[in-house]
Amino acid sequence: MFFNSLAFAIFLPIVFFLYWFVFNKNKSTQNVLLIVASYYFYSCWDWRFLFLLVFSTFLDYYTGIQIEKGKSEKRRKFWFWLSIIVNLGFLGIFKYYNFFAGSFSELLNSAGIKVSPLLLDVILPVGISFYTFHGLSYVIDIYLKRIKAEYNFIDYSLFVSYFPLLVAGPIERATHLLPQLKVKREFDFEKAKEGIYQIIWGLVKKVVIADTCATYANAIFDHYPSMNSFSLILGAIYFAFQIYGDFSGYSDIALGVSKLFGLDLLRNFNYPYFSRDIAEFWRRWHISLSSWFRDYLYIPLGGSKGGIWIKIRNTFIIFLVSGFWHGANWTYIAWGFINALYFLPLLLSNSNRNNMDDIQLKFDFSSVKVIISIVFTFALTCIAWVFFRAKTITDAVLYLKQIISNREFKIEYLANDRSNYELIVMIALFTLVEWNIRNKIEPISGKRTTLKLALAIAAIMAFGTFSDYKEFIYFQF
Amino acid sequence: MKNFLVYMTKILIVIFLVAMILDCIYTAVFLQSKNRGKIETVFNSKAQKLDVLILGTSRAHNHFVAQMFEDRGLKTFNYGISGGHLFETSLLLKLMIERKYTIKNIILEADLSLASDKESEGITAKFLPYIHNSAIIKEHFKSDANFNKFYYIPFYRYIKYDSKIGFREVFYAAVHKKTNVLDNLGYYPLIKHKNGNMKNNIINLNPLPHNKYYQEIKNICKANNINLIAVMTPMCENVVGMNYFEKVKKVYPEIHNYENVVVENKYFSSCGHMNDTGARMFTARILKDFFKK
Repeated sequence: MFFNSLAFAIFLPIVFFLYWFVFNKNKSTQNVLLIVASYYFYSCWDWRFLFLLVFSTFLDYYTGIQIEKGKSEKRRKFWFWLSIIVNLGFLGIFKYYNFFAGSFSELLNSAGIKVSPLLLDVILPVGISFYTFHGLSYVIDIYLKRIKAEYNFIDYSLFVSYFPLLVAGPIERATHLLPQLKVKREFDFEKAKEGIYQIIWGLVKKVVIADTCATYANAIFDHYPSMNSFSLILGAIYFAFQIYGDFSGYSDIALGVSKLFGLDLLRNFNYPYFSRDIAEFWRRWHISLSSWFRDYLYIPLGGSKGGIWIKIRNTFIIFLVSGFWHGANWTYIAWGFINALYFLPLLLSNSNRNNMDDIQLKFDFSSVKVIISIVFTFALTCIAWVFFRAKTITDAVLYLKQIISNREFKIEYLANDRSNYELIVMIALFTLVEWNIRNKIEPISGKRTTLKLALAIAAIMAFGTFSDYKEFIYFQF
Repeated sequence: MKNFLVYMTKILIVIFLVAMILDCIYTAVFLQSKNRGKIETVFNSKAQKLDVLILGTSRAHNHFVAQMFEDRGLKTFNYGISGGHLFETSLLLKLMIERKYTIKNIILEADLSLASDKESEGITAKFLPYIHNSAIIKEHFKSDANFNKFYYIPFYRYIKYDSKIGFREVFYAAVHKKTNVLDNLGYYPLIKHKNGNMKNNIINLNPLPHNKYYQEIKNICKANNINLIAVMTPMCENVVGMNYFEKVKKVYPEIHNYENVVVENKYFSSCGHMNDTGARMFTARILKDFFKK
């Protein structure tokens, strides 16, 4: 059941009605309803994965309590590592086993030792990377005595399985979401309205921007050897907007849906393509994951403290792990590696926190510099996205090589029976809208709401791509 | 909560109004579209006289050189539609009759398409803008599972088939951007492809014993005194299941089997489609056999 499906359009009002009119006696009844709805939502993909979700929930709930109760450090450590190993073990088996087995056998084969890998015939459970990281942050926080263990199983279960964030985040923190689940939610009209606006804007990003860009990006990436430089550059830009519209659109819908139930989720995107350098980009892109890696990997490793080699090591570790988190493919690791290369000069020159302020443009030279920085950062990001999108690292390298060697900048007809340039106006308009609302969450609220709402709805209907339906990209992670 | 429910009702009204307005705009644009495709052209046309009307799928569109008929004094147009099925062919003919076309002969390419009486999603969409403007189209779609949605939900049909009749097509129709579909009197010549697929497997294909839309076309021709010439057109040498054409002949003996008139691969662009040279050889044979020209 996808957020942009008819099934969800029926599911959401039913849950909303039951939540506020039938199960609104106290926070427990509200939470029970949301758990049932979340399990139903999850089972729509494959009911068998529910067992994994319930097991993961129970494991972290139980180990969390045992860690807190543990009288000796040894005991606490035991429960802590048990949780970490089992959680990462599941992730490893379902997501990475075949990759490692395949890569290992390829390595042996290239060394002349003929082996055929024993591969598992398993499908990746939807959202496993997200709810595993949920559980991990909870257990780590208890172990580090940042939070108390949750003794109410219902509240904890909802924290892990809450349907708006279950399959593609944002990756919530116990400190943020659990306190909200401990109190009865009262209906807030303004918050619900905000939620509706955010859902609609998320749909614009998904069906108008992401899905439309996808048809062009696919047509270009799938036939890149025969494409000219102009098409290839546009292909990289279209994919950049596809993945942004797809994932930030999903996050907007998740946040909006959650607001309808009176719960605030962590913001996941903050207009990342207006970043002035890569460090700023990573503070604005997939914020819940970036901050997760910062808090639970980068800082424990020493962060930016220590000598130059420690800084370099930590930077590469965090970006490579982040790339690998996205999927079991060398292309994601290459994507992480490239971002580490981008980030390193900023870190080593202590300029990674230069652009912390809001972006302001005036009619002066410094504004020109800002615009150039934004365009340059976006170009770097697009180059990295080529690795993220390509099937193999070789394809990505050849794609970039073709851009440089072809040097033809002509209008070209693509495999999707469209001309390569057709989306430029749409992307320019979208960028303009986002620029104007960069200090807000969505563009609909404020003055002339009804008009903006009607325009957004008209955009979804008129410009949306519906027949060439695309799943949310991040569901596969 | 009451405020919110009122607010949601307002949003639903806005959605409905937007859908209505967009529906009206899109339909208005399609109602004046004339140079984009064969369906729009027929729908927005007036009475015409034709000596020969060619109907069928891409195997008609790419196989009958309409100009060769014209050169012999026969007013002809090729209305073969690539990707179409008999469902659409029949509807197109009904629209022509409604517009009082006077047709002497119809050459109907009826071979592979006899295996199905389903609609072709991509082509059928082109009729949907007119569903409220034509009783014939409305009637034709009544058996469609989605008919109620197409007919009663404003803008639904444009969303469902956005790649065919969505914004992009509306924009080009509004600015009268021409396509090449109507060039060469509706015939589209193919070239010999170096990498053309010269294999085809139709072993599991069987003609329906009572193809509803083929029967409909026959009935229309009978009722309007049109001479119907139904033919099977050539396929390349490497077809697995070539006895399909014999099966067709058995079920529909009135259909003329011209499958083996052009055989060699050099006359084909892909296995199911002749190139221009092949199409000219084939058309010459049809002219000789049926029109003594």
